[in-house]
Amino acid sequence: MRRIVLFSVLMSLITTTLLAGGYQVRLQGHRQTGMGLIGTSTFGDASSLFYNPSGLSLMKTKYSILVGGSAIFSTTSFNLKNSVYQATTDNPMGTPFFVYAAGKITDKLGFGIGAYTPYGSSAKWGDDWEGAHLIQDISMKVIFIQPTLSYKINDMIALGAGFVIATGDVGLHKALPYGNATEMGQASLEGKTTSFGFNAGVMVTPNDKWSLGLNYRSEVTMGLEDGDATFKIPSSVESVIPAENKFDAELPLPANLDFGIAYQATEKLLVSAEINYVFWDTYDTLKFEFKEKPELLNSSNPREYSNKMIFRVGGEYVFSEKFALRVGAYYDPTPTNKDYFNPETPSLNTYGLSFGFSVKPVKNLAIDFSYLHLETQKSERSYTPEYFTGTYKVRTLIPGIGISYNF
Amino acid sequence: MNIRNIFLLLALATLFACEPSLDEFTTSAGSADFSKYVSIGNSLTAGFADGDVYLSGQLNSFPAILAYQMQAAGGGEFKQPLMYDNYGFGNRLLLDASIPSPRPAGVTPDERNFASVAGDGPFNNMGVPGAKSFHLVPGAEVYSNLNPYYRRFAAQPGVSTVLGEAMAQNATFFTAWVGSNDVLAYAYEGGASDSITNPALLQQAVTGIFGGMASNGAKGAVANIPYITDIPFFTFMNTKLPYYGLVLTEQAQADALNAGYAPLNAFIKSIGSTDTLAFNVGPNGFVIVDKDIPWGIRQMKEGDLFLLTLPTDSVKNYGYGSQTPIPDNYVLTTTEVTKIKNATDSYNLIIEGLATQLGLALVDMNEHMNTLATTGITVDGITFTEDFITGKAFSLDGIHLTAQGNAVVANFFIDAINAKFGADLKHVSPRLYPGIYYFQ
Repeated sequence: MRRIVLFSVLMSLITTTLLAGGYQVRLQGHRQTGMGLIGTSTFGDASSLFYNPSGLSLMKTKYSILVGGSAIFSTTSFNLKNSVYQATTDNPMGTPFFVYAAGKITDKLGFGIGAYTPYGSSAKWGDDWEGAHLIQDISMKVIFIQPTLSYKINDMIALGAGFVIATGDVGLHKALPYGNATEMGQASLEGKTTSFGFNAGVMVTPNDKWSLGLNYRSEVTMGLEDGDATFKIPSSVESVIPAENKFDAELPLPANLDFGIAYQATEKLLVSAEINYVFWDTYDTLKFEFKEKPELLNSSNPREYSNKMIFRVGGEYVFSEKFALRVGAYYDPTPTNKDYFNPETPSLNTYGLSFGFSVKPVKNLAIDFSYLHLETQKSERSYTPEYFTGTYKVRTLIPGIGISYNF
Repeated sequence: MNIRNIFLLLALATLFACEPSLDEFTTSAGSADFSKYVSIGNSLTAGFADGDVYLSGQLNSFPAILAYQMQAAGGGEFKQPLMYDNYGFGNRLLLDASIPSPRPAGVTPDERNFASVAGDGPFNNMGVPGAKSFHLVPGAEVYSNLNPYYRRFAAQPGVSTVLGEAMAQNATFFTAWVGSNDVLAYAYEGGASDSITNPALLQQAVTGIFGGMASNGAKGAVANIPYITDIPFFTFMNTKLPYYGLVLTEQAQADALNAGYAPLNAFIKSIGSTDTLAFNVGPNGFVIVDKDIPWGIRQMKEGDLFLLTLPTDSVKNYGYGSQTPIPDNYVLTTTEVTKIKNATDSYNLIIEGLATQLGLALVDMNEHMNTLATTGITVDGITFTEDFITGKAFSLDGIHLTAQGNAVVANFFIDAINAKFGADLKHVSPRLYPGIYYFQ
């Protein structure tokens, strides 16, 4: 019962601020987050469920339970081109979380189930800012639930795969060019969906020192059908545009192909590097199709994202049974197009620096901390269909905490 | 490391300044100095729109937009005599999309809109709706008490003048766009009342204004006067109701009208004219009052303009334009249009001459309006035309600009200022300003 309460509290809290380029979030384990979000070739506990499911059959203990979350404090600053006008976001705190439970059924077969939040975005620019006609605020929440099996073929090769049930909702507000004497018109769009995907990986451990991991997470298309569209418009305009409407839209959650390599340099020091290839080019156009007055309201909005490769390095040093320290860094080039850059997703080329540590007050139980600091390049970007150009910069601070219980 | 320390560390980490900073945009003022900018003019300067002076209109006045861009080049604060809400003196029009037509907002404005705000002055924006050129200069002290808009912010109603108050602020830069009302007040009444300002009088006033503002070495930009007969107030109704719009379907109707006007026709012939009235089945010119012909009544011809104020109900249902001549104040005749254009040409020669003499930047608003009326003006993907409402440039009163229109005008000033003074003020995007406002 208590667990159910905890889970529903977590569900109600999550509003995840965009992170890893576009609206992907990889804060699915504090060990990995501390090491620069590296996890494809490392293993040991139930968090492999997300980073590389093949790791479940390689867990060091028979059972592993992890619960954790992060707090995302992200602010975007904006300077309108050719103007002294500046704006900053007032984003709500993002709260991505994860819950994993896994166990080894036999020496070779591992099973686990987890819930985590690999995509999300939230930006709040305010109702009256100069880009209000593009976006006032947006919130996208996605939860993946993933039952997973992992099988260790031999001492060198392990496989793993999970089935993904994705539930999500998206809500946004933007200004409409139908204002009355005192305020702008406003559109609010809200939709929910459930979709499916998979997560599969392989781990190769040629010896005690090296491990190589390859993982693929499929694209999940969030098809929002019969979403609610509400237009706050002057009463006299309601004769032309209905105030209540339904809409369909599709938002792709891109596929990822990850390759990582880890090296146990000494008994205490682990170093790792990895590459994530993200198939963002699927996010080409954001289309809204309305049930009523489609001829007036339907819109096709170019996004033109492109595939991107993220480079990461990280390491872990185990000082004692009671304390381990981690650091990491990465460069995450933005998938957004500089001519179709909409402030709803102010994603820029980003540098990430992380550290983290675990303390074990008692045997089997660890408290894990991570801290990730993101800085973007200051960049001029345009949304050319609306002639909206300015300079953006984003700063994000993400402390996180979690508990691992491995027994 | 114990747990308390760890929490402390995390708390510290999140206390880092969260907001990434950006350098403010800067640009050059060239040989101009924008530190104290004062604008002088009429309703177009005040930000009047939709039949009233109201808060958001003022905030989006062209001088306010210009002042904002100047802030990137050393410009200072720009104070305006703001209303307290968006209903001004209670005359605000909104577009009722269900009719579709403008209609009064019908909202009681904030009481404070009617009280003096002079205590907050002096104001950088010295635009006074309704003011003609000679209303702005010394000698017109009484005007500061008569004009309700100026009385609101005049330092001493009955004593102050716009020029006096503007000069007292010792501006380093000024804009002046004056003279429109010197023809508009006459045109607005269809030439039936009020009068066109004698160019000599305007010359005296404008010389005082431009010279006075520039007397301390301030630089400035001035605009000439467009042909006001191209604005929707004088064009729109004619697209709905052409001058030959008296359509008779039966011979009996034509016969009755011909019989009715027979005595007048007899008189016209008796004084040796052939300009008689005649009605046939099919389209006919409407009957109007024209005080510039001796017998005072004739049928409309090409070039005569209906005003936006024309009571179309009376035309449809009460014989306006057939049995009853349409009153003078709803029509601008070709003769009156010519008088207005001639006066405008004289004014513009004076304004242009003074601008050259005083080294001021000149905004050729006459030419810009001409472009608007012929080909339209496209800025950032928005095409502005002279069309009422759909043209986006003019607000619901058919005379004054929308905020988007003001942004376009501000860009014209910016171009002229940059060219004249080697400044580098940047354009604004009209897309970021409101267009038409809708009823409730």
